[in-house]
Amino acid sequence: MAVRRLQVPKNRWAAVTVGLVVLAAVFAVWSGWSWYRAAHDDSAAYARARDQVLAAGEQAVQNMNTLDHADLTHGLDLWEASTTGDLHTQLVQGRADFEKQVQQAQTVTTARVLSGAVTELDDRAGRASVMIALRISVQAPQSAPAAKESRMLGELTRTPDGWKLSALGQAPMGDSAAVSPQPSAQPSAGQ
Amino acid sequence: MSTVEETEVAAAILPDVEGGTARSRRRWAVPAALAALLLAGSGFRYLGAQLRDPAAMANRALVDTRATTEVTGDVSSALGKVFSYSPSDTTATAQAAAELLDGTAAAQYQALFGQLQQRVAEQKLTLSSRVVRAGVVELTVDRAQLLVFLDQTAQREGQAATTAAAQLSVTAQLRGGHWRITDLKAR
Repeated sequence: MAVRRLQVPKNRWAAVTVGLVVLAAVFAVWSGWSWYRAAHDDSAAYARARDQVLAAGEQAVQNMNTLDHADLTHGLDLWEASTTGDLHTQLVQGRADFEKQVQQAQTVTTARVLSGAVTELDDRAGRASVMIALRISVQAPQSAPAAKESRMLGELTRTPDGWKLSALGQAPMGDSAAVSPQPSAQPSAGQ
Repeated sequence: MSTVEETEVAAAILPDVEGGTARSRRRWAVPAALAALLLAGSGFRYLGAQLRDPAAMANRALVDTRATTEVTGDVSSALGKVFSYSPSDTTATAQAAAELLDGTAAAQYQALFGQLQQRVAEQKLTLSSRVVRAGVVELTVDRAQLLVFLDQTAQREGQAATTAAAQLSVTAQLRGGHWRITDLKAR
């Protein structure tokens, strides 16, 4: 009988131990599976890409409509860092002339994003379109600050450093709905 | 009875046979396996949660292509109808507004349209609105938030037309298979 009394608790411990290990194994397998599913869930990846595009687009459009004549180098470096492709090339080529214009005009341009939306997203090709409503204020010397609402259409391209603007323009009034590759901030900042 | 005796005998003898190191190795094997499994499970859970960003997943804008197209189409056509009127046909506009607007938007519109109706008749004013671009900011099963760029062209009889650009934040709700505008805000 002394033998039996020792035996029973020992078996119980073994059962508890085995149960715990099995539970832990089930937990590990289940969470591994759910991780695998999440990693291969295309719509989750697509939703993340959409949010990244909107954040990058809003920031880039704000950057492109912000310029202080007293801090030109920093401002224009930011323009170049926010863009890629044709738009980037244009900015780099026109930089010297544009610097002169803004220095003469002595303007300070600031922008605030009111709302933005992604209208197209091709995840595989790495291309996207955004529409952004902006409020731009321009302060020129010896004149009252002028504020205006602006509606812009932008195209973004995925680069190794994230999404960047490859085209930007005012949403056209009237019939045509094409996005021009013209840098939009140039007219407003140069005024 | 014999099995119990045998196991007991084995249990009594085995440790001595295997020696101290084997026994301590066996004692640590189970806790180590438990810890490893729990760690792996928690790690996978953490990685999975990071991938399934709940805020990003809850928003179906663009992800649900069909709903995105539908809400964009419904809202665009509603705005075109509701913000277009001619002196000869204000009833059609009022009717469209009653069908397509709801909640706050309906009240806002009623207040506006009451005043406007008189001016439209007196000044022979024609207004037409065209959606230039519409994008879905947020989308759930029955609620949507959109950004709309609108061109509004106004013309008094015998005068040149003027076009104004508008940016609207629009809230829409799905009711009876159609999206109705429940709130309008100029940005």
